[in-house]
Amino acid sequence: MVAQAIMLGIISGIGILDSRIFGVLMLERPLVLGLLVGLVLGDVQQGVIIGAQLELIWMGIAGIGAATPPDIVTGGVLGTAFAIISGQGVEVALVLAVPIAVLAQSLGVLVRIINTYFMHRADNYAAKANFRGVTIMMWIPPILFFLSVFIPTVLAIILGAEQVKNMIESVPETILGGLEVAGKLLPAVGFALLLDMLFSKKMGVYFFLGFLAASFLDLNITAIALFGACIAIIVNLVINNNSNNQANDQKGNNNNLTEGEIDFE
Amino acid sequence: MSSPKKITKKELRQVFWRSFALQGAFNYERMQNLGYAYAMIPVIKKLYDKHDDQVKALNRHLEIFNTTPAVSTTIMGISAAMEEQNANDSNFDSNSINAVKASLMGPLAGIGDSLFWGTFRIIAAGIGVSLATQGNIFGPILFLILFNIPHLFLRIAGLKLGYRVGVNSLERIQKEGLMEKIMAMTTTVGLMVVGGMVATMLKLTTPLEFDINGAKVVLQDILDQILPNMLPLIATFVIYGLMKRKVSITKLTLGIIVVGILLHWIGLL
Repeated sequence: MVAQAIMLGIISGIGILDSRIFGVLMLERPLVLGLLVGLVLGDVQQGVIIGAQLELIWMGIAGIGAATPPDIVTGGVLGTAFAIISGQGVEVALVLAVPIAVLAQSLGVLVRIINTYFMHRADNYAAKANFRGVTIMMWIPPILFFLSVFIPTVLAIILGAEQVKNMIESVPETILGGLEVAGKLLPAVGFALLLDMLFSKKMGVYFFLGFLAASFLDLNITAIALFGACIAIIVNLVINNNSNNQANDQKGNNNNLTEGEIDFE
Repeated sequence: MSSPKKITKKELRQVFWRSFALQGAFNYERMQNLGYAYAMIPVIKKLYDKHDDQVKALNRHLEIFNTTPAVSTTIMGISAAMEEQNANDSNFDSNSINAVKASLMGPLAGIGDSLFWGTFRIIAAGIGVSLATQGNIFGPILFLILFNIPHLFLRIAGLKLGYRVGVNSLERIQKEGLMEKIMAMTTTVGLMVVGGMVATMLKLTTPLEFDINGAKVVLQDILDQILPNMLPLIATFVIYGLMKRKVSITKLTLGIIVVGILLHWIGLL
């Protein structure tokens, strides 16, 4: 168990370093981590399936801007691991992963606060043109990020696996059934988060176009993406270019209307 | 006067590899600044011999910086080209280097976020997840490949483009409204894919049945006749509406777990 716990800790570490020093190659996503957790625990298929479910829930969560999102790395690795270890399915993973991600988030915030100290020390080295000093200040924070997920993951697996297993076995059937329903509802959070990023009154119609294409025409995601790309080119490059040219031709006539003013001359 | 200082392929390659660590020392005060300075070190070393010039250059790139990591190399390429000019031309205004960085990181982050987070990631994940839910290990692998082909291409091409064409071309592109056009196009694709995913990946159905004069009526069948996948659509917009009302994501997720158990208990879902 200890060896497996350490390997799972390393997987968490790889996940957290993805956004830090691997240029965000998407190794941090639960879809990818689920596969790795499954490999370590000897149930690749379960790992991949659980990873896919967690990906749906957290699809909308991305570290954009300065905000610190829930730690989907620790949540994803521990949620998947506990679900496989306890022999229970996806529902257990969902329900464990969400609170773990929220708890682990605070450690990520802490590291980002501590990093300010190293940044100021880098300023001091820069004042002496000490390239090596700046470089070392740059490489200490990734070690902290790694430890901030490695230690909790290893400890949780070693200390928690038995307890989590017993706890889950004592949960009544109605609750487990309800958790299954919750598991089906939760991906809507991911989609709502994506809408929050993309949706606007002007663009909203494309969401419904995709929805209807899947609902009535049974198109899959690849097909929708390809049609979407064609529509985007038609609307933005073909039609808009033409109307821009026309608008330029008739500028004198149209200006007043588009400005919403009536010019009596 | 000595021969002009010139950046070679070697330095650009070093900048490329170092750009991956952009957020390694992310902090709340100046965000990606330390990572940016780290990436520029090979350029600074190559261009400046004097202690004072090195200090100034390091300080320049330790200023606040934040953008989408995938587009950062484009800005680094421009910075490198401007540092080169600065090293060779004593009349060059070195303040313009950071002015350009500051003016580009916002618009490029806008494009980068909608292109990579809102479009490529969503498409790749949509395809990956639909395989992975069946337990197929190619789901995650395909996800990584589909996302990283455009990602790594833009990292390399952006760096070269940034260094070669520098500031003028990017300013022109921005003035011509090409950036807005790219964002509108990626949003179009992203929204359509999200719409498709709501319909295919939210498996919500109601088990409710009624007995009307001995005839069994299955509610889900009626809903399907009106609009297939109606329940997933409603669920998404209810949650989206709550998000717009500033309900936190943590509260929403925990709330959904409770609501899910309740709805199952009363037999609605």
